[in-house]
Amino acid sequence: MNRILLSICLLLAVFASVVPSFADTATANGVLAEERVVNLPNDQGKWYISVVGTANDAAYLRVLGWFDATPSLKRLKDQVHFCPVTTGGPIYQERYACNVKGLPTVRVQKPDGVVVYEAAGKNLPMTAEGLYGAIAGAVNNAQGVRPILPWRRDMERRCPGPCPNPNPQPTPQPQPDPEPQPLDDGGAPNLEPQPQVDGWPLWGLALLVNGGFLVGLAAGYGRKLYAKLHPVA
Amino acid sequence: MKRILFALALLASVTGCEVTENTGNRAVQKERPTVNIPLALRQSNWRGSRGEGSCVHATMISLFRWQGRVNTANHWRRTYGNGEWPDDMAAKFDREGIRYAYVTNGDVRFLEWSCRTRRGCGITVMGGAHMVALVHLDDKWAAILDNNNVSKFAWVPRETLIAEWKASYGWAVAPVYTPVAPLPQ
Repeated sequence: MNRILLSICLLLAVFASVVPSFADTATANGVLAEERVVNLPNDQGKWYISVVGTANDAAYLRVLGWFDATPSLKRLKDQVHFCPVTTGGPIYQERYACNVKGLPTVRVQKPDGVVVYEAAGKNLPMTAEGLYGAIAGAVNNAQGVRPILPWRRDMERRCPGPCPNPNPQPTPQPQPDPEPQPLDDGGAPNLEPQPQVDGWPLWGLALLVNGGFLVGLAAGYGRKLYAKLHPVA
Repeated sequence: MKRILFALALLASVTGCEVTENTGNRAVQKERPTVNIPLALRQSNWRGSRGEGSCVHATMISLFRWQGRVNTANHWRRTYGNGEWPDDMAAKFDREGIRYAYVTNGDVRFLEWSCRTRRGCGITVMGGAHMVALVHLDDKWAAILDNNNVSKFAWVPRETLIAEWKASYGWAVAPVYTPVAPLPQ
């Protein structure tokens, strides 16, 4: 009896799973048969990065090249609307000339135009990694991911020691119509957290304290032992 | 009758209005229209080799420029002209490797998508005899850029524009690249 009931239940379960999937297929087929269906990118939530400069300026070309040559910046570029702008064009004249503080400029904006990060001229970080770090800090801060750590503030103005890439290779001239950016529904850029400055980890500190305590204890006990073995005459 | 109404609405339109919106506790100067194509990027209509107007091509060229495809726009201006049909235009886009999307069924969601993503699109008006660029669409208003007079944006009520478009074959077409960044806030 139990076996019969179990069989009936299994059959019902099979029918229950088959019927809706058939209905879905029929609906989808109907839509697909009506016209070609394309997926339009719902990318209105994407942020914008503008790189503004003079077409033949070495600094502008260097910064522009970073977004193709440096993996972190390349990844970031693919997540946003990336807008290279040169000073000769009408886009610059009508939308940038009156509001940039210097050239070249890197500006990161939310979809509604709010500027999250902007650096121009000498305030631009001198390495690609520095620029990525500055943008990541500003973006994460704007998203409320975490506050900018004190050691990160004004990082771009401090270049400790020799820079890792003091003589960057000349980058190729930017093509007027570069490869189009990938289409997706991406929103705010997802930036990897910045590497922390190497400090004493907690376990290291505990080891040091405990080690010091043991050394002190051993030294004290050793002195007592020495005094016991060598009594003062 | 609809054409007359549309013409009246165009005549009554305003140009390039700026609206101040209060978001939270700070005033934000919202950019309108959302596809705010600078004057220098707007392509005027021209007569093609067969003596026909080139409104579809002019509209696409303005949108190419807005989406950073300056070279493509220049190539298009040199290469193409005259009147167009949806299928022929799609074939040209395919041949040139253009990334685009279009509808011919009057689906308003396409217009909303194109303005929401700040790309804009070309839409048919005047019973399908003309194409203009749709540069703004919100709950109440729409703005178009007419290639026969690129000096100003024309604002019309949303429903008026949609009715005109649907009565004009409902063809809308958009290049799909990267729009210019918004003005800084």
